[in-house]
Parts: sequence; C-alpha cells; structure tokens
Amino acid sequence: MATERSYVSYATATVALAAIPLSFVGPEGLRLAVIGLLMLAGPGTALVLLLRFAPPRSAHAAGALPLSIAIAIAFSLTMSTLVATAMIYARLWSPPAGVCILSIMTLAFLGVELKRPQRALVRAK
Amino acid sequence: MTHETATSLPVHTGHRHDAHAHAHVGGVKPPTHRNLGLTPSWHIGALAAAAAAALALGVWSMTQVDPLLIGGAGLIGVLPPAYFVALGLSLAAFVGSLSLRRLVPVLLTWQLLVTVVILAGADPIIHGLPRLEASFRHLGIADTIAQSGQLDPTLDAYFDWPGFFSMLGMFSGATGVKDLFGIATWAPMGINFLLLAPLLALARRLTANPRQAWAAVWIFYLASWIGQDYLSPQAHSFVLLLTLVACLLSVFGGWAWPTERTRFSRWLTRNVRKLDSSVPGYGAVEPIPTDTAVLVVVCGLFLLAMTASHQLSPFAVIPILAALLLTGHLRLRFLPVLAVVLPVGWLLFAASTFLAGHFGQLIGSIGDIGANSVGALSTRVSGSDAHVLVVYTRIAEVALVWILAVAGAIVGYRRKVPWLAAAAAALAPLVLIPLQPYGGELLLRLYLFSLPFAVCLAVLPLMSESNSGLNVRRALGLLLMGAVLATATVVSRYGNDGMESFNNDEIALVNRLYSTAPTGAVLIEAVRNTPWRYQHYADYDYRALLAAEPIPNAAPLSCDAANQIAHKAGAYLIVTESQREAAELRGSTPVGDLQRFTATCATSPGWTKIYENAGGVIFHIKGVSNGN
Repeated sequence: MATERSYVSYATATVALAAIPLSFVGPEGLRLAVIGLLMLAGPGTALVLLLRFAPPRSAHAAGALPLSIAIAIAFSLTMSTLVATAMIYARLWSPPAGVCILSIMTLAFLGVELKRPQRALVRAK
Repeated sequence: MTHETATSLPVHTGHRHDAHAHAHVGGVKPPTHRNLGLTPSWHIGALAAAAAAALALGVWSMTQVDPLLIGGAGLIGVLPPAYFVALGLSLAAFVGSLSLRRLVPVLLTWQLLVTVVILAGADPIIHGLPRLEASFRHLGIADTIAQSGQLDPTLDAYFDWPGFFSMLGMFSGATGVKDLFGIATWAPMGINFLLLAPLLALARRLTANPRQAWAAVWIFYLASWIGQDYLSPQAHSFVLLLTLVACLLSVFGGWAWPTERTRFSRWLTRNVRKLDSSVPGYGAVEPIPTDTAVLVVVCGLFLLAMTASHQLSPFAVIPILAALLLTGHLRLRFLPVLAVVLPVGWLLFAASTFLAGHFGQLIGSIGDIGANSVGALSTRVSGSDAHVLVVYTRIAEVALVWILAVAGAIVGYRRKVPWLAAAAAALAPLVLIPLQPYGGELLLRLYLFSLPFAVCLAVLPLMSESNSGLNVRRALGLLLMGAVLATATVVSRYGNDGMESFNNDEIALVNRLYSTAPTGAVLIEAVRNTPWRYQHYADYDYRALLAAEPIPNAAPLSCDAANQIAHKAGAYLIVTESQREAAELRGSTPVGDLQRFTATCATSPGWTKIYENAGGVIFHIKGVSNGN
C-alpha cells in the first residue's frame, strides 16, 4: 500500500509539473490529456494522499477507497471551478495562470504530505 | 482493491494448513474452495469475460443502428435484438458476481462500467454528437467566457451562475482546444463513471453490508433515466453533492448536540431510535483532528462550488442536510446554515441581475404546489401517441422505484437495519415542490436528487440482511427487477431521441448559417430545438417562433410570425429536422405543419432560400430597411 501511495504521488507530481508548460504551449492532444487529468483529479489526489483515511495496511484502507476517489475528483473539480470563477470575477482571466495555480496547489499538498510525520494516521472502524 | 469479506467466512488463508492437518487426522474432507469460503478463480474469470462479451456485443449492436429510422418512441424501436442480449448478459454477470461467496470489487466495478457503456453509450456510439440542444448552448457559453474572460448577465441566467462554464472555459483556454464537441459527446458516459465512487461511498454508509451497497449502485444506474448526465452544471453539481453527503456520513456522522440536553433533543432521539435503532456498521472513517478540520473546509468548498455553478442543486442540499441532522447522521450543525447562507447570498449579490429580472416569477410560484407538481406532470403527458407511451413508461419507472423504496423502508424497520437516513434524505428534496416549478422540470430533478438514497432502500426487499452470497431465488428476483428497470430506462431515457439527438447535416447547416449571416443579425429558429450557439453565443440576436412545448390545439405556424421579427432589419430563419421531430413529438404544431410552413413561406415575398441539405433549410427574410 505504501508503495502504491508513492507511485500515485509521483504520477500526480508528474502531471502537475507537466501541466505548467503545457498550459502555454504543446501538442493539442497532450495538453488535453495532461491538463484534463490535472483539473479532474490533481489537487484532490494530492489532498487525499495528505489526509490518509486509514492506516496503510488496514482492511479499512481499501474500504475507504471509494470515498477517497470521490473526494479526489470532487475536490479537483471544486478547485478548478473556484479558481476559474475567481479569475472571472477578479477580471484577471488567464486560463494558463489558472492551471498553474492548480499545479502549484497540487505540488504544495504533495510537499506537505512528504513532510508529514508517518505516525499521523487515523483511527478507522 | 481487495476482496470484501463476508463476516461469516474465514478471513485468513492460514487456516489452510490447519484444515489440511485435520483432514489427515480425523478423516475430514480435504480443503476445497467451497469449504474455505474462496471463490474459484475461473468463476471470476468467467464473469469478467461475460461482461467483456456484453460490452463487445453491446457496442457492436449500437453501431448497427440507423439514426434516421428513429421514430416517435425513440431508440427502443431501432435497437437490434443483440443489444438486449448484451444488456441481459451484463445484468446476469453482475448478479452472478453479487452471488459469489466473496465480493470481488474489481470485478463488480468492471461490470458496472460495462453496464454504463451499454446504457449511456448511445450518444457517442450511435450519433457521434452531443445530446440535447442545451449541450451546444453550454459549449457556447464556455467558449464566450474563454474568449472574452467576462460575464454578461444580460444575455441570460447562465452568466449569473458561471462556475461550471468558467471551469470549461479555463480548460478550453489552457489546452487550446476550441472544439469541445468530443468532450460533450462522451460526457454522459464519463459523468456516470465519475459518479461510481461517490455513489458507492454513499451506499456503504446507508446500507447494512457491502453486497447491498453494490446492488444499490447497480440499481441507481439502471433506474437513472433522467438524462441529466450531459455536459451541464447539473451533472457537475450532482457529483459534488453526492461526494459531500458521502463525506459527511462517513466522517461526520452522529448527533450534532447532546441527546439528553433539552426536551426536544430527548424526544427526537427517542423517536429516531424507536424508528431505526441500527448503528451503521461499516464505511465510517475517523481521521485525526487536523484532517477532520481540513475535511470541514473541503465540505464548505464543495458547497461554494455548487453555489457558483447551479441554481437548483445548492437548494436541494439544504433539506438533505437538515434531514441528516435531524436523524442523527450529521454532527456539523453549522453546515445546513452555511448551505442556506451561500445560495441565498449568491442570489442577492452575485446573481442580482437575475433576481431583479425574475423576482415576481420567483415569488409568484411559491406555494403553488399543484402547478409545481401535478400541473407540471400533466403537461408532459401529451404529444404523439408514441411519446405519451414513453411518458407513461417514465411515470411507471419512477413509481416502481418509489414502491420498492417504501417496501425497503418497511423491511429495514422490521429487520432493524439502517433505513431511516436513506428514507429521510430521499424524501427531503420533495420540500422544494412548493417553492419553484424550475421551468416545469422540478419533478425530474427531484427524482434525480432522491434516487441515490431511494435505491439504498430499494435493495432491502431484494436482498438478504446477511453479507453472504445471494441464494438462487433472490438472485433471480434481483435479475428480474434489474431487467425490468434497465428495459424501462432504454425506453424512458431515449424516448425523445428523435428530438434530442442531432446529425452532421444539421451541424453543417448551422455552420453555413454562421458563415452567411453577418455579426449582429437576427437568427430565428422555427422551433426551439436547434444545435446552435456553440459558437458566437453573444454575436447574434437569437429568436424562436415556438418553444418545443406541448400546445393544446396548436395553431399552424404562419409566415407572418417570422416576418414580424424580420420586419426591421431582416433575419435568417433556420428550420431543421430535429425541430420538426420536436414539434410533432411534443405537440407544438399540427402534424406535418413545419413542412407546410417551409413550402408556403419559401414563395413569400422577401424570402430567399440560402442553403438546404438533408438536415434542414436556411432562409433569408428581407426587412423594411432592405427595401421589403
């Protein structure tokens, strides 16, 4: 489980890093895939990795998977929505800048997760 | 994912060795898959292969459909028998998996996804274009925002709730993809995929065991005929709403106040426990306090994103949260208050343009329960005979789900398993009926909001309370119910396919209109059902002669209606096949009237045919200033 978590962390970080240049330039298909993935699951996945709903090797870790996936997607959509809406109302519309904000947010969550003490886990029933 | 274990079965495979030793000593039978509670891998392989076969057959059968043959009854009339074989196979495979001694989540997930493709895949596979003219409008709003970076609330109400469209505009702007037709076409399938995790997380907290939770999610997909899973703020908000409620039930369950504090709290607790004394046994998580605090903020952000994106969903959240609070399933007492403050505040400040223009309309419909419910329903039971049959199928399907849910509540009460939270949350959205007709669509939306909770009750009469595999009788019952619901959904979901789907000829016609008409021109559609506005949303003056709504004793369309609009500066009129379908299906005009209108007006003075193809025709109508 711990190995799986680190794979997910690396994949999320890769998507977040790749999205920054791709939000300005790049092949259309690649931009669509990477930025789409970031907006759909980037910040949320990083947040869920940070939160840790259950001890990694417990049966409840698998049981909390639907909720983790749901929060990962919903939080990413939420942040994409709120960042875009804030840019509109602030009259600072810049889609590449919006994507960069989402990337930085994702990387920040991953950074905090990296620094977080391993004992900071949860009680699951 | 790991196997979800039945409580009655051995958990550790380490028992193998003990059992083996006993077999030699006491003459007990050697261990087998059966007495170890394991599922032979070939069973799992066979069920996965059955789903794969269903997927291949279902997709192939949909590619055989000729969209031009779709009539008044919708898609059901043109689907080949192979489609129903595929659907039946996918349903049987799922029930087979649910009957295994141990649940295999990966297998169940795969089978649910296959069922979603078969039931929601018609748009990309058969039509290759987005469903509903609203999809095209939504693309146009996102395009306008992406291009201008500004909102124009005077255009329409969408710009007062721009959250979803801003997100789509940011996606379009950052990827450089101007044409989001592909995304909109695949959206129904994609959105249903996205719903799987929140639905499962929700069902895990509202049912007695994982087997019931999977069955509830399955029934949700089979009974979800509303078609609000297209690229829309409703679909976006629905994902957030389900995740919010699932998160609250999983992390923040329990009473929001000390149950012995006041007379009211004692009375409430006593009655809730009398009705439902069960304790949700699984699916809860207890993060550490810091993480819990983060999740409170996350839930608040979900509410905010919903508020910025959709008019109705935030108001539907309020009674659901209140119901959970009053049944002891939500301990964040400030959250229902926040759920009220956010949408009301948004309406007063961010959507003030809309409020100023529609205040009378909003206030006027409050309390009119008859018009908002039975009145709205009765206007839908009209149109062609085939369409009326589709409408009755929809009513029957809704009734079946609710009858099952009521039966489930009774069964839950008798078995002393969790039922009250699901029942309260399913009924809660109905309190919106006295408030708003929502353009006559309120009942449809309320069914959507109630369905995830109602299905958690509906599975109770169909399944046993233990988490062991289904016996043959229950499995057959579940399969039969699934088959009835799935078939009804094929009728009800795609019953308006003739008017809700479009073809490339119509898109070519609209593109021709945009390349011909100068910016600022008046563009008229004969009936409001045209796949347009996906670009140039704010560049033209869009008008319609008729709404695609039922009109009792509808009068024939006259050329004068178009002439009056074109009187001043001229206009372009577009008449499409989907408009004709919509008018006849809904009874907006007499049968054949749109062809007569086109033929008659084509010879009128000032009318010039600009372009015509199999999808329809474009006319230019001269105005006074042009010499008419």
